[in-house]
Amino acid sequence: MDLSEVTERISRKMESRGITPDRKKIESKLHRLVDEFGVHVSEAERTVMNELAREHSLTGMGTRSTELREIKDLVVGEWVTLQGKIVALTTAPSPAIAQTGVIADPSGAIRFVVWARANLPVMEAGKWYRLESAVVDEFRGVPKLNVHGGTTLTPVESDTPLIPSVVPVKDLAPGVASVRVKVVQEWEVSHERMLQSGLVGDETGTVKFIVWKEEGKEKLVPGTVYHLYYALVDEFNGRLSLNLSPATCIPDEGDIAVASGQTFRGVLIHVAPGSGLVKRCPVEGCNRVLSRQNYCPVHEIQKEFRYDLRIKGVLDDGTVTKNVLIQRELVEAMAGITLDDAQALAESNPLGMDEVFLRIRDAVQGRYYAMTGNEIDGRILVRQCSHIAFEPMELAGLLNRAGGEAQ
Amino acid sequence: MNDRKGPGFRSGPAFEREPARRVFAAELRETRHQFRDGEDEKSPTYVLIPTGVRCNRIFIAGTLTEKERRGDQNAYYQARIADPTGLFYLMAGSYQPEAMQQIAKIEPPAFVAAVAKPGVFESQSGALRVSLRAESVIVVEKDVRDLWVLDTARATLQRVDDLGKSPDSKKAQEIYAPDPAVYRRMAYDALAQMKI
Repeated sequence: MDLSEVTERISRKMESRGITPDRKKIESKLHRLVDEFGVHVSEAERTVMNELAREHSLTGMGTRSTELREIKDLVVGEWVTLQGKIVALTTAPSPAIAQTGVIADPSGAIRFVVWARANLPVMEAGKWYRLESAVVDEFRGVPKLNVHGGTTLTPVESDTPLIPSVVPVKDLAPGVASVRVKVVQEWEVSHERMLQSGLVGDETGTVKFIVWKEEGKEKLVPGTVYHLYYALVDEFNGRLSLNLSPATCIPDEGDIAVASGQTFRGVLIHVAPGSGLVKRCPVEGCNRVLSRQNYCPVHEIQKEFRYDLRIKGVLDDGTVTKNVLIQRELVEAMAGITLDDAQALAESNPLGMDEVFLRIRDAVQGRYYAMTGNEIDGRILVRQCSHIAFEPMELAGLLNRAGGEAQ
Repeated sequence: MNDRKGPGFRSGPAFEREPARRVFAAELRETRHQFRDGEDEKSPTYVLIPTGVRCNRIFIAGTLTEKERRGDQNAYYQARIADPTGLFYLMAGSYQPEAMQQIAKIEPPAFVAAVAKPGVFESQSGALRVSLRAESVIVVEKDVRDLWVLDTARATLQRVDDLGKSPDSKKAQEIYAPDPAVYRRMAYDALAQMKI
């Protein structure tokens, strides 16, 4: 049985108290308890932790702490007691897990997992519970409350009103969050279990959302403002998304001026291969760029492709670089060449599409631009692009700055 | 933007392209410190310029005044690019085929925008010199050169304001002991040559 995760958890707790743990010793103690004596892993963890705590005269570790804690202040690795309301239950991903969901108190909310072997009573959505000796840990960067065999679970009566605090989209972090946003885009669903996906945003930014098909779930209406309470914030490849399946979605009055992305100024320092005239797969909804042999990575050879113009490049302000992707209309304006011209040029020139690439590169590379768009997968999808013009006022300002202090 | 702690299964931070720094010819000429960040064979090399920023790549816009093809077997191009403060000496050999072809086509004098990798080498006389290996050289309009002078003056003044505020800048102060007034003057003179 693999106990390295538990060993790591204990070691980290020791380290947080300034003690260098002996991982081998911890692991062998755990193995002895679990393998030889058939002790539950959670109990073994507690036993070893207690033993170490005594050895180093530490207090408040592993022992049953009954002091009530606020959810927003929980730290990974802690054993805690808290009291909260089950605001959502989600489908457990594995038979080893009895229940998953979100528990909230007035300070915040956290995801929880109840392990099947803990044999605890089933919790009901909307009810309040007191959880003693639950463990805070982290799974793929998301903080989570582990409810295990050593946890005491008691239903409590409470009518404390819960008012979730709403965070700006730009401050979202993996976990649980509530936002007030407008639905700005609806995308084609990419999975049969998916009910809806798209983009929601507020004044500070935009984020992808997903609603899975579940009983009683309804689609959000594009253009409408919603309060989304207790959405799950997930991170994948450095990008955040909101899972609204467990969330409470309440339409709200009013409108939001959704941030239209950032504007970035700099030099188009590099025009990458794959820019210029490209062929796209004609299969509905595919649109992928074909290789020179007209090969689509999904739909194989396609003879009836469509031509398109694009620039994949790098904008550089001298300190930071941004990958940019520029669509046809803007490329036509920037490079002074239309799609039809480009196609004609490619067909009449021995270099073909390379000639279009060189022509576009020579017209745009090394020039100063201001580009606006949303950043998706580390690349700005440029919606607006303009040449930066020489401003005599700026020259005057810089002369002042340089001369004012030197003389 | 991404200062969040990433999940453990990811393999380190994503690749980030080195920015192209804006430096006047007069400052680059003073540069003589080169270093490698890390022990790995693929670790990037940088030159540390006197105003305290590491450069793996630079962007220049100026007037290509002269070009010369040298060598027979291993032909390479040398080009001189003038900015308001001095000259950049750019080189493009068989390892920079794109830049070589671009330079071959240019008729001097012409306004160009160039991206280059700087390096420090010891000349036959024993002096330390900065070489520039061109990545690309493109003919541009005059306003690009004008914008570059503003851009580079702004960057130079900012670096002077930030002297001693970063580890690189502190290191540059030890090596070069830059006089802020000299670099403000450099920016001022470059700007003053432009007609309002």
